[in-house]
Amino acid sequence: MTGDTHYDLEILAELAEGLLDDATALEVRSHLAICDACGESLAGLAAVRELLSAVPVTAMPLGVAMRIDRALEAEAQRGGLRLVEEPDWDEIMKDSPWEEKPVSEPEPQVLPEVVPLAARRKRSRRAWAMPITAAAAAAVVFGGVGLATQLVASGPGEGVTGGQVAGPAVSPEKSPLKTAEAAWAVRASGHNYTSRELNGPLLGYFGPEPGTGSNSDEQTDKCVARKANELDRQPIAVDRAFYNGQDATIMAFWEDKTINAVRVVVVGSNCHNLRPEGLATWN
Amino acid sequence: MTSPPDFPQPADPSGQPALSDADLLTRHIGGDTTAFSEIVKRHRDRMWAVALRTLGDPDEAADAVQDAFVSAYRKAESFRGDAAVTTWLHRIVVNACLDRMRRKSVRPVADDELIEAAERDMPLPDQTAEREVSLEVTAALKLLPADQRAALVLVDMMGYSVEDAAAVLDVPAGTVKSRCARGRAKLAPILSHLRNRSDLTRVSSPKGAELRDG
Repeated sequence: MTGDTHYDLEILAELAEGLLDDATALEVRSHLAICDACGESLAGLAAVRELLSAVPVTAMPLGVAMRIDRALEAEAQRGGLRLVEEPDWDEIMKDSPWEEKPVSEPEPQVLPEVVPLAARRKRSRRAWAMPITAAAAAAVVFGGVGLATQLVASGPGEGVTGGQVAGPAVSPEKSPLKTAEAAWAVRASGHNYTSRELNGPLLGYFGPEPGTGSNSDEQTDKCVARKANELDRQPIAVDRAFYNGQDATIMAFWEDKTINAVRVVVVGSNCHNLRPEGLATWN
Repeated sequence: MTSPPDFPQPADPSGQPALSDADLLTRHIGGDTTAFSEIVKRHRDRMWAVALRTLGDPDEAADAVQDAFVSAYRKAESFRGDAAVTTWLHRIVVNACLDRMRRKSVRPVADDELIEAAERDMPLPDQTAEREVSLEVTAALKLLPADQRAALVLVDMMGYSVEDAAAVLDVPAGTVKSRCARGRAKLAPILSHLRNRSDLTRVSSPKGAELRDG
């Protein structure tokens, strides 16, 4: 009660919610029967409920919905969700002799947060989880025709500087690839590619620019070599950049040079595809 | 437990009953890449409404809902089948909102400040009265402590039962009632002028018409 004559709003609100004990409720109701001011207060409380319920509902703005879709898409990729287009490398490599050896290569930090499926994550991490020498050996095994062609095509000293196919871990004395210069230069534009950009003319984004600083590292080189082996051709260009905000290596391969068609491969740090391989134009 | 709102399941063109939210969540955990999108599609408008009303700011609400959906995506396996998926989603969204409010360390407002705020707000007659009422209600809600605000958003604004709101907020029903009562008691003096104005615009009395028409 305030000033011995009226009940305060909180008591009246509790009465309306049935929170008062019987004796108190009876007392307040008796007062309400004779007090217009308290009756008005009670009506005011009811009006609050009406005002609150009358605020119109708006649908989620399209921009917000799209933003959430993108965030969930990125989450799916971070979690290593299997993409339909991605070859099952674990299955392909499972009988390889090096698969049992201890992992000696530090794994790239994918994202420490909880992901829905532990199994998925484990799988995605294994893509590069093999000893360096074994990986180099794999490059040799898979190299075959592509690398031989390359040896002919680019003699010592002529090749574009950049990543070496086998990577620095292979000792020069033992490697049959010691004279092989990589046929591609790895750029590091830092550009954040969108899927749409990667459908259009690519020359302006990462066309060959002799003298542009290369940013190759062993893992990127291995990954590029692997994709080159899969496609049995050398890339036109490689860019270490971003795709939809994620670290990505973007590779362009000629699909058909006569019709200006380029195959675009986008991979993440584990060399798994971030985007289905697609065709684009070069010029 | 019942789900807070009655969500009409989208009609399946093939005539088959649509998958339940729980089925979709199970599929998501099982690796179905489209299942979670369907859950989002079904509930995003309602989640948006809850977040926007709780936070009173579209940018903040967008961040909170995004955080909540990503969080739900990640911890789908933590969902326990004894609760409705909608209740679980609401809880994640409400908690994301409360986290944001706490991080911004919203200061509880003393009663006398509320009265002052009410006195400052002079009614401004104009054509977009409804929109203005919404804005003022939103602004007034921001003056309430987070727990009272969350309870009022669910019960008075979204129309959920006290029991359902209690399930979302993970508190007893009596606590929800008490928070609603205290919240309404604080809002009543702030919003009283809107009540008067709504009488005015409805021309419910000769006096009102006289005031309105000058």
